[in-house]
Amino acid sequence: MGANSSIPKITAQDRAILDLKLQRDKLKQYQKKIQGVLDREHAIAKAHLEAGQKERATIALRRRKYQRSLLVKTDSQLENLEQLVSTIEFSLVEVSVLHGLKQGNEVLREIHKELSIENVEKLLDETHEAQQYQREVSEMLSNTLTLDEEDAVQEELREMQEEVLRQREVLRLPDAPIERPVSAVEGEQVPASHQSKIPIPAA
Amino acid sequence: MIFTTHTTKSGFLLPSIHSAPPFFTEQPNPATQAIATDHWIRLILGYARHRKLFFLKVEDAETSSNDWDEVLKNERINRKVLPSHLSYVLEAMVKKNVAVYEPSKQTRTVMLYWRTPEEWAETLHNWASSTGQLTTILTYYDITDPPVESELTGIPVPLLKKAIAILAKAGKAQVIGISEGEGVRFFAGN
Repeated sequence: MGANSSIPKITAQDRAILDLKLQRDKLKQYQKKIQGVLDREHAIAKAHLEAGQKERATIALRRRKYQRSLLVKTDSQLENLEQLVSTIEFSLVEVSVLHGLKQGNEVLREIHKELSIENVEKLLDETHEAQQYQREVSEMLSNTLTLDEEDAVQEELREMQEEVLRQREVLRLPDAPIERPVSAVEGEQVPASHQSKIPIPAA
Repeated sequence: MIFTTHTTKSGFLLPSIHSAPPFFTEQPNPATQAIATDHWIRLILGYARHRKLFFLKVEDAETSSNDWDEVLKNERINRKVLPSHLSYVLEAMVKKNVAVYEPSKQTRTVMLYWRTPEEWAETLHNWASSTGQLTTILTYYDITDPPVESELTGIPVPLLKKAIAILAKAGKAQVIGISEGEGVRFFAGN
């Protein structure tokens, strides 16, 4: 099944770690037991003292002292074990970090293989060539026109220019008369000037 | 007679039926008995959840001053559950699959399912991932007695094993066994 493929195999390393942790648990449980004994001895000593048996109380307290020293010893052992467990787990983390770095490095190298300087130069050259080629093509295209066609183009251009000029002329207003009009009847002149109104094209 | 609810010393609210004397004795009418048993089951599971109790023994009805005093006895009406009645209720609980005989092959002690093993499996996985303990090898003691108290503190190992088995089937856990004992490793799963 696909779900099972993600489960890693149990290695000897895993077993060793588990063993260590189980030992640690045993030590913890042992401490709990000693703590219980300590409490009990305390109660016994108290009971003896209340009953007036001082000597027996002393014995109980002595036993208690001894158990206490055991507890202190196990404390330091436990500390050692826990340190070892922590160190191992931290090393495992380091290993996985290293693994990650290694993989990242590999990927980077793979990418660099694709991105070698030669390739880049080649690519740039090719781009350059392609640009050159494109320019040549456009030049060739513009040169493919025959002479007649070129003439036609030039003709068209001239026509356009003339048209522009004509339009400009239309816009030019007549010069104001310099000479005095030589007409006898002034009344007839007025409508004439009306007729000769120049149409101005609407913009 | 007026039946009232009652809040126990541990802060658990007993239902009003708990102050009804007939509730504490087996009823001759099967229909009445069935209803009473249902109430008992709800009460027991509710109390177990409240106090985080995992086991109920017939013995708890025979002795006094144990974890179940507040439920199995009602001193205000001077009633208590007889061991035979409790035994009957336990049997009904096992039949309804809200408890199992633990260890099996005896009928004096049950392990209570106030959370089903499936729910425990989810709780377990949530705890492992929220405390950053995925892919770390854990002993059962690590889970039942963690340095920082969790929801799983005190969970009985048989129940824990059931929850782990459910996770293992889903590819979210792996049991590691050595001669010294067993451990488990959780995975993120998919």
